[in-house]
Amino acid sequence: MTKSNGNPVRGRAVLRWLFAAAFVVAAVASGLFSGLRHEAGLFYLVAGSVAAALMGFTVREIGTALGQAAGKPGRREETARSAYFWEAAARNAWILGVLGSTLNFTLALSSESGGIADTGNRMIQSLLVTLYGLVLAVLCLVPAMKLAGRVPTALSSDGIERRPARSALLGRLTGYVLFAAVLGSTLAFLVGGYPPSGPLPVAKVLLHGPAILVVFGGAIAVVLFMGAGSGARALTLGFGMTGLVGLLMGLIQALFGFVHTSVAEIAAAVAFIISSASFSLIGLGVVAAPLEDREVMEGRRAGVRTPSRMFWILLPLLSFIFLILTFIMVVTPMTKSG
Amino acid sequence: MIEVRNGGRDLEELIRAAFADDLPAEVEAGMRERVRRFRSDPARGARPSAAWACLSRRAVWAALSILMLVAGILLQGAKTGSPLADRISSVKSAYASLEPTRR
Repeated sequence: MTKSNGNPVRGRAVLRWLFAAAFVVAAVASGLFSGLRHEAGLFYLVAGSVAAALMGFTVREIGTALGQAAGKPGRREETARSAYFWEAAARNAWILGVLGSTLNFTLALSSESGGIADTGNRMIQSLLVTLYGLVLAVLCLVPAMKLAGRVPTALSSDGIERRPARSALLGRLTGYVLFAAVLGSTLAFLVGGYPPSGPLPVAKVLLHGPAILVVFGGAIAVVLFMGAGSGARALTLGFGMTGLVGLLMGLIQALFGFVHTSVAEIAAAVAFIISSASFSLIGLGVVAAPLEDREVMEGRRAGVRTPSRMFWILLPLLSFIFLILTFIMVVTPMTKSG
Repeated sequence: MIEVRNGGRDLEELIRAAFADDLPAEVEAGMRERVRRFRSDPARGARPSAAWACLSRRAVWAALSILMLVAGILLQGAKTGSPLADRISSVKSAYASLEPTRR
């Protein structure tokens, strides 16, 4: 019975995906959305999402999830795992999208040549990566919700049972190496696109000392405070909290800068906002989230809890909003009164 | 730690009360065997190196993390220059100089 129904269901699912892909290709080819094109950002997001999936899941788990999204039937346990995989993929796309925007925004600001109009254009273009991330997240949420419908508790990952941990070290290492390669090649491509005098050295711009100290120092302090029993949730909370603290600290300093009419103070605050958002998102997406995924997939704890989900959604969202605020702060002229 | 010790003492008293004079022989033998194994454990006597012990102390990490946090906040508050901040300053100044022409 299952076998006779399986193939038509799978065929319909494949047809739906093909139709969606054809629609996207037609929309791109029409040229209507030429202003929304950012090839380097798209490459970074798709390849980065694949790398992030490898960091948190085994190749077998990814294969099963892809099969089930295409309509392949599976046991309840497998369906719960696949639903969780797609939910995690949506989360990764969202976090990586905003991270891409913050890094691109930093590079755009660091460009010393090309004129002020060029810098402004690049700053706005950097926000496109978040748009791509949001679209990819929604695409990944579709199979997550469909699979969750088959297993009532699947989306909260409560249907996942404990099973012995498999050695996934090689897969995870591959994921980390791939992510570093994707990030490095994207940055190199973006820097290469600048006029000859180019931006400042990437490392010099991205490694903003105070933000690194606050984000990583704060995250380690929170992890130690919560203790070993909390597992990777402590890291999520640590990076999430320090990211929010960094954003708020930067905003308050920038507002003081406006009151004191000090461009240097505003610039220091803007640099701190962008850098702390970047580092906390890297910590959240590359360190904490994959570790949480492994804990859930190995059944070491009963599902993902609300605080982790809240940080996965809230921190990228606030980072994006603060990125827009920093853009407004940079382009808003300031004159001394009196 | 104090709670664990107290808990162990309570459990001991409970076992004593429950098996006042008739602790089963196999239970007694099992307990003796565990005590013997614990005493003969070679890892028990081995001490980690001083450097490793120092690094693995939570207090050290806690102090280090708090120092990092405080140093970061102080550095940011002191408005020490950074290449990114300098560049943002010049972009902002450039936008300010554009303003009259826009109007």
